[in-house]
Amino acid sequence: MKTFDHYDAHSLDEALGLLANRCGKARINAGGTDLLGLLKDGVLPRYPELIVNIKTIPGLGYIEEDGERLRIGALARLCELAGSKLLRERYAVLCEAAGAVAGPQIRNVATVGGNLCQDVRCWYYRYPAHLGGTMECARKGRGPCFAIKGDNRYHAILGGRKCFAVCPSDLAVAFAALGGQMTIVSPRGERKIAVGDFYSPLGNGLADDEIVKEIDVAKAFGPGRQRFLKFTVRKPIDFAIVSVAAVTEEKNGVFANARIAIGGVAPGPFRAEKAEEKLIGKKPSEALAAEAAEAAVEGARPLSKNGWKIEVAKALITRVIGS
Amino acid sequence: MSRENIESRNEPVAGEKLIELRVNSQVYVLRVGRGPGELDPAHTLAFTLRETLGLTGTKVSCDKGACGGCTVLREAEAVLSCMLLTIECGGKEITTIEGLKDAKTGALDPLQQSFIDHSAFQCGYCTPGMIMSSKALLTANPSPAEEEIKEALSGNFCRCISQYQVVEAVKAVSGKKG
Ligand SMILES: Cc1cc2nc3c(=O)[nH]c(=O)nc-3n(C[C@@H](O)[C@@H](O)[C@H](O)COP(=O)(O)OP(=O)(O)OC[C@H]3O[C@@H](n4cnc5c(N)ncnc54)[C@H](O)[C@@H]3O)c2cc1C
Ligand code: FES
Ligand code: FES
Repeated sequence: MKTFDHYDAHSLDEALGLLANRCGKARINAGGTDLLGLLKDGVLPRYPELIVNIKTIPGLGYIEEDGERLRIGALARLCELAGSKLLRERYAVLCEAAGAVAGPQIRNVATVGGNLCQDVRCWYYRYPAHLGGTMECARKGRGPCFAIKGDNRYHAILGGRKCFAVCPSDLAVAFAALGGQMTIVSPRGERKIAVGDFYSPLGNGLADDEIVKEIDVAKAFGPGRQRFLKFTVRKPIDFAIVSVAAVTEEKNGVFANARIAIGGVAPGPFRAEKAEEKLIGKKPSEALAAEAAEAAVEGARPLSKNGWKIEVAKALITRVIGS
Repeated sequence: MSRENIESRNEPVAGEKLIELRVNSQVYVLRVGRGPGELDPAHTLAFTLRETLGLTGTKVSCDKGACGGCTVLREAEAVLSCMLLTIECGGKEITTIEGLKDAKTGALDPLQQSFIDHSAFQCGYCTPGMIMSSKALLTANPSPAEEEIKEALSGNFCRCISQYQVVEAVKAVSGKKG
């Protein structure tokens, strides 16, 4: 890793000030499990001059429910989410998604904020600079998206444009199904954005001087039934090929509410609204689950080598809804 | 939050800082800087352990957080030393494979002995990481079920297919003290 200056921030204001001063040449480090990989491989078009450690900011690691909201501080660690009794009982989909991330050593340091803000894993984008030079691509602001003509077996089947990398975050999928929103702070104040709206094909919606402070989930309907399923090639080190998070509620034997998000298929978590519509008012059955799965991937436009992801997505949705 | 407040803070200056690194109950004071023997802010804990402190028991294989070879304990939790900045590890107790033996008698930890007894390695490169992950598990949960052992070791890769013997080695010391 090339060198940088380093600073332990002791408050959000202090961290924001450092980011603002360096005009895009400073970068936040939370758990570092994504950032260090990016720095080692020289992936970022602008190598940071300054790393601002935010783990030294006190009071940002909470997981709590106040009245009608679940609130999670950006520094809560994934092991804490996976082990939280509150989440297990009332927000199981989050608990399961956190537990499905990487291996235990990573979950012991990785944070929620870092998980949502992590960079994509496209193998062209991430190609190490020290192995013959970085690959200048659309996402880096120069060049084409190599996935379009290249090996795109793991790339987007929905919503890709200019860049076809998929959002690698498992938590984003769970939060999208729960309707979670992020609180983002900057020298200009605070703003909120739905986790589902945070991602675009060329990157997430974070400006250089912004920090994610909290993610909250409104108790829209009861805990209902929540499930997260993730398909990977080898379990622990692999990112989701496709994942599905579903939050459903049944009343009088029919689906009264349903929210389904699919991961690994698009630049962000993909809300399968057409599948949700299919379910409402109907009795759960395997046939209905298959119908919903079909509706979920309607409009998918695979690249040359990733049509198989449509079948994986359908299988996962059928399992999540049907069982 | 007014901008004035924010900008009046001091910017960091490298070279002024000392990091107190505690490894295997020993304290090392490292000067932050870019000279020889100094702690560059970009040094990973794995690099510092091996290259600065000479504790080469910790192995670096992928250097990307993917293989578990560099696993050490930070306050009894298994973490990847290749994905931590040393400069952020001050004040925390770090335990490496070198720290498992009995400090007075030099006797191996029963877990280490069990790996030997079960031939739970072939080339041995993944072994320090395997042992540290197992140690973290047994400290938190002295009598793990087989599934819990496998889950705890799911972030440790072995190229030589020793995983079966590793699970046996851990099982053999679970339920016992040490
Ligand atoms: C081998 C391996 C396997 C993995 N498998 C998975 C997986 O299966 N699923 C998955 O979801 N992830 C996976 N990951 C990615 C893993 O890095 C994230 O899951 C982790 O949660 C990132 O959190 P962090 O705190 O370490 O982030 P960091 O590395 O600290 O930060 C990531 C990025 O977000 C920015 N950032 C961090 N916190 C904030 C904040 N509060 N506000 C604004 N910006 C912020 C940083 O500047 C950086 O650019 C894997 C990683 C590895 C190395
Ligand atoms: S060397 Fe650290 S995980 Fe592979
Ligand atoms: S014994 Fe060779 S890698 Fe595990």
